[in-house]
Amino acid sequence: MSDQKTTSPEPGQEKSQNSGMSNSVIGFFKWLFRARETGIAVVVIVMITFLSLATDTFFTPGNLAVVARQISLSAIIAMGMTLVILMGGIDLSVGAVVSISSVMIGLTMVRAAMPIWLSILIGLLMGVAIGMINGTLIVRTKVPPFIITLGMLGLARGAALVITKGSSISGFPTAYLPIGQGFVFKLIPIPVIIAIVLAVIVHFILSRTTFGRRIYLIGSNEDAARLSGINVNRMKIAVFTICSFLASVEAVIETSRMSTGQPASGQGYELTAIGSVIIGGASMLGGEGTILGTMLGAILLGLITNGLILLGISAYWQQVFSGTIIILAVALDTWRRQQK
Amino acid sequence: MEDSQVLFMRGIKKAFPGVQALDGVDFEVRSGEVMALVGENGAGKSTLIKILSGAYHADEGEIFIKGQQVKIVDPKHSRDLGVSVIYQELNLAEQVSVAENIFAGREVVNRFGLIDYKALYKNAQQWLDMLHISNVNPRDEIRQLGIARKQMVEIAKALSLESSIIVMDEPTSSLPTVTTNPNDVNEVDVLLTMIGQLREHGKAVVYISHRMDEVFRISDRITIMRDGKLVGVRKTSETTPKEIISMMVGRNLEDMYGRAGERKIGKTMLEVRGLNQGKRLKDISFSVRSGEILGVAGLVGAGRTEMAKAIFGADPRDSGDILIDGKPVNVRAPLDAIQAGLGYLPEDRKLQGLFLKMAISTNVSAANLSRISQRGLVQEKWEKDLAQTYVKQLNIRTPSIDQFARNLSGGNQQKVVIAKWLAVQPKVLIVDEPTRGVDVGAKIEIYNLLRSMANLGVAVVMISSELPEILGMSDRIVVIREGHFAGVVDRVDATEEKIMSMATGIATEVMK
Repeated sequence: MSDQKTTSPEPGQEKSQNSGMSNSVIGFFKWLFRARETGIAVVVIVMITFLSLATDTFFTPGNLAVVARQISLSAIIAMGMTLVILMGGIDLSVGAVVSISSVMIGLTMVRAAMPIWLSILIGLLMGVAIGMINGTLIVRTKVPPFIITLGMLGLARGAALVITKGSSISGFPTAYLPIGQGFVFKLIPIPVIIAIVLAVIVHFILSRTTFGRRIYLIGSNEDAARLSGINVNRMKIAVFTICSFLASVEAVIETSRMSTGQPASGQGYELTAIGSVIIGGASMLGGEGTILGTMLGAILLGLITNGLILLGISAYWQQVFSGTIIILAVALDTWRRQQK
Repeated sequence: MEDSQVLFMRGIKKAFPGVQALDGVDFEVRSGEVMALVGENGAGKSTLIKILSGAYHADEGEIFIKGQQVKIVDPKHSRDLGVSVIYQELNLAEQVSVAENIFAGREVVNRFGLIDYKALYKNAQQWLDMLHISNVNPRDEIRQLGIARKQMVEIAKALSLESSIIVMDEPTSSLPTVTTNPNDVNEVDVLLTMIGQLREHGKAVVYISHRMDEVFRISDRITIMRDGKLVGVRKTSETTPKEIISMMVGRNLEDMYGRAGERKIGKTMLEVRGLNQGKRLKDISFSVRSGEILGVAGLVGAGRTEMAKAIFGADPRDSGDILIDGKPVNVRAPLDAIQAGLGYLPEDRKLQGLFLKMAISTNVSAANLSRISQRGLVQEKWEKDLAQTYVKQLNIRTPSIDQFARNLSGGNQQKVVIAKWLAVQPKVLIVDEPTRGVDVGAKIEIYNLLRSMANLGVAVVMISSELPEILGMSDRIVVIREGHFAGVVDRVDATEEKIMSMATGIATEVMK
């Protein structure tokens, strides 16, 4: 019976996230109170406070730069993953894209001595190409994204290993290194700037453009979206391409930071990215989630990693903590939704 | 009389923030009777049943089962007290056998603690036999069964639980009314027969339905609710559908379908020529004119929805020309159709029409993104204005346009989907089962809406399985049979018998 839904316990409580942000100050605080991002933001602040008090090393410019750079890298991949998950998909191949892009940059820049810009372009094109293949296969074969991108994970990483015979490439020109290692005003790492700019752009696309709106609509109800005149297939290819492209952007920065192009890079990145998106409050079913949430999710996971190192806890515990946080975050969010 | 009373709920009150869902309702059922429970969506039927099933707790009021006052703690407790509720969304495990579903949680085990399948199947068969269910095998997997047969399994389960009170929540809402292959048994009939058997077994049956004909066929008494209150209880033999409906909506209904009015039928707006699609659609041609309401009748599975989807570009077509407003349109995807001035309200609003997790405003603008955007940017104000306009025009009852679609009642949800298509400002609107699963009040509003659209010059194509609706609304009626065009009838010549004979292909000579 549907009549219960009419008189849903709290009619005013569930508002769309698109229009939840009101211009008035009161509206802002109401939104702040209700938004699922607030919960995680509180956790992040508590964590920062705790680490600042518990260690002498956390709140130092040097460490903060390291943490921020690390978080920026995982955040860039998580942004693309947000788009895919919002649309009701998943992309397991992002880590493998990092690996093959990194290897391609190494091969072209070091071995073939191509100009830096051209190498970077090739690395990025690698991401675009893989994303388009992912999207096209998903649309044409109608095989679930989980399977296609799982296959692509093996395929791309395997290819990276084959073409390098498993070895890493070093000896990059110094002009390439600032992208990953440099600072602006000797303070803010360049990757952080790149990540912030990208986050603002992706947030804008999601919240303000018809392109973003279509992503939410498809994730909310793919059939209804198709019948509403949305070209779902084209959107899927576009979104998988963007996701993969962002992974290759990460590869450009990471390769520069490590000054190594290595087939082993990007291992497990898909899990960190998915974790960030989920902690950020997105629904795995699609249609719900924000870039702000994902960014907070990425920050939280980054802080855990850094905090454990500073607290002298074995690095092996990192994954245990990350996994626990993911389960806790989702369980809490689910519980909260059931309370409504 | 009093001692046959199995269930008595007295003075039940239940409030949700902002809404008094139930306001002192009395409800009584006796053994060996079928009590119909009717009311519009939002009247409080579900809340009442959920209190009985232990899903909600009443704020006030008393419940007596077989004369004993009880305090129902949770669903399990309710079941132990002999209450079985069969919901619209059935609670069966799809990939498991009928027998295992009937005895879920109560499996017969052998001395090794393993399930004794032989005994399980045998016991299940006994319960099925008791209800004379012959077309369900205990070994069948649930997912192989149609909705009606799944419901039979639920009923057998309720019987095996020795429940004394069996509540059926809209059991036939997803079954076709006019129905099926002529050689087949009507599933609704089978279900109603089964309910009759439950009565003979001395069960107290509560039957919730929107379908008046069924209520009158099966029930002994009718309890009518409105706005969380009990309106009255009637003996079925002493009342009429008209009285019940007016009690439900609180006013008299002169004419549900309204009057034809002064409509100007203009030029041809949609013309379909020789539409073919595999084995499903064969050479279908018809046209509909501005200001006209064209009914599309046919049995379920005749290909009406397939036809609509092929015209709209949602499914591919093998051949066939589509002309909109006199111009041939190459429809390859819904977007082509929408841009040419076609709208399509799909038959299943939850699966194909609504974005349940999205705001009303987002739903209304979904097919109109170009209209609410500039250079790819969504203009929030335009979007709000658009939603505001249609919420007002269609009388969608909601506290705000930011409300999620899933929080609305069935009728209001349907109006949101209609709003989406009105906002497209179509020349031709195809509506597929526009009033399925909505209450009488919303039905009338939807009829009025379709009429006023036609009055404004829109060509309306209405696919419906409810013959009274087809007859009441249409200017002309196209009948589809097994993917073929079976004929067209003018409103003045149309009768239920005539359309049925065309739809089934039986006694066509009588018609001609």
